[in-house]
Amino acid sequence: MQMLRAGLVLLAAVCMLPACTPVASYERGRLAHPTMDPSTQTGPGRAHLHAVQEGAAGGSATRAGGCGCN
Amino acid sequence: MCALQIPTHAPRFRRSHPLAVACCAALLSVSAARADGTRWDGNAEVSGYYDTDAVMVITPALQAAAKTESGWSASGGYLVDVVTAASVDIVSTASPRWTEVRHAGQLGAGYAFDDFGLAVHGGASFEPDYVSFGLGGEGSYNFANKQALLTLGYAFQHDTAGRTGTPFSEYALRFTRHEVDTRLELVLDRATTLTAGLDVMFEAGRQEKPYRYLPLFDADVAPRVPPGASVDLVNQLRLPGRMAERLPDTRRRAAASVRLAHRFKTSTLQLWDRVYFDGWGMLANTSDARWIVDLSPSFSLWPALRFHNQSAVTFWRRAYVGRFQDGRVDAPSFRTGDRELGRLWTASVGAGAAWALARNMRVSLELEGAYTEFPNTLYIDHRWATFAVAGFGMRFE
Repeated sequence: MQMLRAGLVLLAAVCMLPACTPVASYERGRLAHPTMDPSTQTGPGRAHLHAVQEGAAGGSATRAGGCGCN
Repeated sequence: MCALQIPTHAPRFRRSHPLAVACCAALLSVSAARADGTRWDGNAEVSGYYDTDAVMVITPALQAAAKTESGWSASGGYLVDVVTAASVDIVSTASPRWTEVRHAGQLGAGYAFDDFGLAVHGGASFEPDYVSFGLGGEGSYNFANKQALLTLGYAFQHDTAGRTGTPFSEYALRFTRHEVDTRLELVLDRATTLTAGLDVMFEAGRQEKPYRYLPLFDADVAPRVPPGASVDLVNQLRLPGRMAERLPDTRRRAAASVRLAHRFKTSTLQLWDRVYFDGWGMLANTSDARWIVDLSPSFSLWPALRFHNQSAVTFWRRAYVGRFQDGRVDAPSFRTGDRELGRLWTASVGAGAAWALARNMRVSLELEGAYTEFPNTLYIDHRWATFAVAGFGMRFE
């Protein structure tokens, strides 16, 4: 049941793909702003702190990234 | 690996570590890779942590990355954790305050061509009584006119836990982890991205802490041990002797996450949420939000909030029942004193500021306060903590 729920979250994201507004390369100035980069959200010290003090793991906010700007 | 999980021992500082030399060499080679068309990023940060359970951590860290126009990229990082602890877990076993140093480093390399990307990474972490190695790789695919990025990754980790002063050949608890993670990042419009992720982890081996020993109680007494019972009260009520921690040898874990980022005209909103569950019966949810506001082209401020809430693993007991019979101890097969496996919630409130000293140079400072409540644990029922990070970053192109 729980796996199913997690899968549904991912599926919902996939289903949103057709709803995305087409964005041309020259329109991605805001997307390319440094603060949009997931890796800026959590540094190594904070990431380690969360890993140790929270029983949960995975799903890091800093993974993936890239807005197709390049 | 788990520097803040407090084993009751007193290891000593190491003077230097080959990992530091290796990572510094790697970082230098990354910087040497700076050439026409190469973007080079370097970051340094120092973070500090202190809590009301007498745990203090100082963590200096360095990171560097280079990316060429031809699609190659390389990255490296190195950090040192200096942990000093005299927590109630240490006091409860009449052990002295200890200080421990952890060295951790990681290297990565990648190549992107057309709409595809490949990357590999490796890392290692060393403490006097804990060694961890990891390797991984991932592939990514940009599709739908670069409106979507799909990433599939795999990582392997091998840990060895021992006792300070005892060679791993004589005593070692070994543990492995396989992790598969998937990310789908969508460009929703000119200013919004949505990333959905699913991570599945399989762990096998011994995860208990070699220094963690638990009090046992008579069946009639256990229900009368209150949450947050003091060391003195526990010592009055418990049976003679203590029992080593014991955890199941396998653990399946999964986390589903969603991240939304939106760039307004002069600010950025970052929202993140994770739902987690595992085979030990733990359910958890973590939410994180920050709103970065540009007060000027070179200065930004942000508030940050984080809330984590989790249930206990199925074998969690505040007071484990034991029985001495015919010279042996009869206790539950699985038992733990790790508060992070028990029921808890944590609320964090913080703020940060970043200032661009020059076009390619940036300093930042973050401060955070956190309150954690442990509704069903021995010794303490809450913890206040402060966390601060000072960072410095450079970018050259």
